Amino acid sequence: MSKILGLDMVGIDSNYATDSIHREDVILRLDGKNSIADYCPYLIVSDNMKTLDAKTDLFMIDPLQSKDGIKRKAKRGLGIEISISSARKLEAHMIGRWMRHAKYIHEVCNSNKCQFILSSGAYSIQEMVSARTIESILKFIGISATNYWEELSEWLETKNKAKWIRQC
Amino acid sequence: MLKHREKRRYVAIFYAEPHLYKPVQLHEIIVRRFKELFGVLYCELAMLRLYDSEFGNTLFIGCKLKYLDNFLFSLSMTQPPVTVISLSGTLKKLRKNVSRLNLETLKTIETEYKKGMR
Repeated sequence: MSKILGLDMVGIDSNYATDSIHREDVILRLDGKNSIADYCPYLIVSDNMKTLDAKTDLFMIDPLQSKDGIKRKAKRGLGIEISISSARKLEAHMIGRWMRHAKYIHEVCNSNKCQFILSSGAYSIQEMVSARTIESILKFIGISATNYWEELSEWLETKNKAKWIRQC
Repeated sequence: MLKHREKRRYVAIFYAEPHLYKPVQLHEIIVRRFKELFGVLYCELAMLRLYDSEFGNTLFIGCKLKYLDNFLFSLSMTQPPVTVISLSGTLKKLRKNVSRLNLETLKTIETEYKKGMR
């Protein structure tokens, strides 16, 4: 499916991962380090600002609810993820607000040297978002698509390297 | 009078539950969302047209290239969720691209996933 959507890699929640975890185009999303993490690329994901610590790779945020505290908590190298699925059910005027807040989060990411990540937040195939669609959304937020993909690839590489060093 | 035609793009859209939504209904939902987000004027200018797809679970919609980003944005903000699986400059190429994709596998994955969730 990732190939159809033009994506080189997809993140999968460890609870939903089955035999796909050994594939090169899959990154596991874990709550904390566990045994699967020894042989698979993974990211430690949190959606709670209180449990955010140095081990957290990725922080999921709802732009309409919890953007205020993020400026203090965002440490260098942290990925901050907003998902499209939360915006899908909103009314049009709220989508406008969602976009404005997403733009603010992107600015916070830039100033704190964090990685801004736009994800589909998909729980089914139909909810997945193609690379070209992500680029359209980025355009409306005011982010260059080329820069976004480059920075995201670099960030993922850095995260993987860091884990290999830790394991050695 | 100018003789050139404005460029268009044709988008293949994969959706769930064909028994719940007919292509025409889904097209209406997508157009309504586009109007809500970008206004009636942009929606008319974008010329969102529905075409026969011949593939189950797949819609073909054409729009003017100038408004493609607006259209894709609207699609990503549409409920029920839909996915863009192919994009092309001609309907003929789009049909070819979609026929190369293994849509049956996608449907099977979706069915298995739903069974697993129950």
